[in-house]
Amino acid sequence: MKSMQTDGQERQVTLVWLGLVALTLGSAWLGEGLASIGITAALVALIVAIKGLLVIRYYMGLAGWGSRLGQVMRLYFVVIPLLILLAGGAGAVLS
Amino acid sequence: MEMVMSAPVGGPELVGRVPGNRGIWVGILCELTEFALMFLAYAWFKQVHPADFHHGPAMLNTASGVWNTVVMLTSGYFAVRALFAIRRNDAAVARNWLVATLLGGIVFLLIKAWEFNWNIDHGVVGTGNSFVAMYYYLTFNHLVHVVWGCLGLIWAILRTSFGAYSPEDHDGLEAAVLYWHATDLAWIVIFPLLYVLR
Repeated sequence: MKSMQTDGQERQVTLVWLGLVALTLGSAWLGEGLASIGITAALVALIVAIKGLLVIRYYMGLAGWGSRLGQVMRLYFVVIPLLILLAGGAGAVLS
Repeated sequence: MEMVMSAPVGGPELVGRVPGNRGIWVGILCELTEFALMFLAYAWFKQVHPADFHHGPAMLNTASGVWNTVVMLTSGYFAVRALFAIRRNDAAVARNWLVATLLGGIVFLLIKAWEFNWNIDHGVVGTGNSFVAMYYYLTFNHLVHVVWGCLGLIWAILRTSFGAYSPEDHDGLEAAVLYWHATDLAWIVIFPLLYVLR
């Protein structure tokens, strides 16, 4: 029973890894400059938030919402994407 | 700060337990704070020198940035597999996954060395351009943390080889793996800042 649970968790982490690689390739595609600066900044901020939260939950194992340590880590990947959004948005205004 | 976690991935029920140890979390939170300050500096210089940052990413070798990211994420995945293995009491497999994780770190460093060489050949040097200065500031700092992470992994590989870890007691291995993931988290932010945002 425990082995089946572990097998399921290993499959889940493998899928997360594939998702992280796909998101990275998506980010690289955004770097080609096909979208406007503002949209690129918004998508980049979203991708960074998703990737960070996935690593925190599935790689680091900080899944519990009651964990203060997990809350601090998750907050980091809310604040930093907002900073990216602001920095990117400023770039869109100035360009 | 109260540090409490629920069951980590692949592990037994460990409510109330800090993954790894408290010391490594002090290090991780200090590292992430340090990088947060650098990201603030990036945002500030992007406001002050918008032209440098608008044209900056096009000066870099995007492929090496993408490969670095893929290698880092894959290496982190190997580290998770090492934790799964030690929790199954399979130390030999855990050691092999840790060696694969370390190889990922070495490949990351080799790609970075190749990229810095490419930069020099293409005139991407840290003088007279605030984006390029920020690029070297962020990447060199991250590179130092990758080296620390590699040293931690070597320690965990040796300890695993000598049978120091068990499913019940593998805090040292978990701490090395958590630090590795923290360097991964920093790179997840650095990659788009330098290679994607304009």
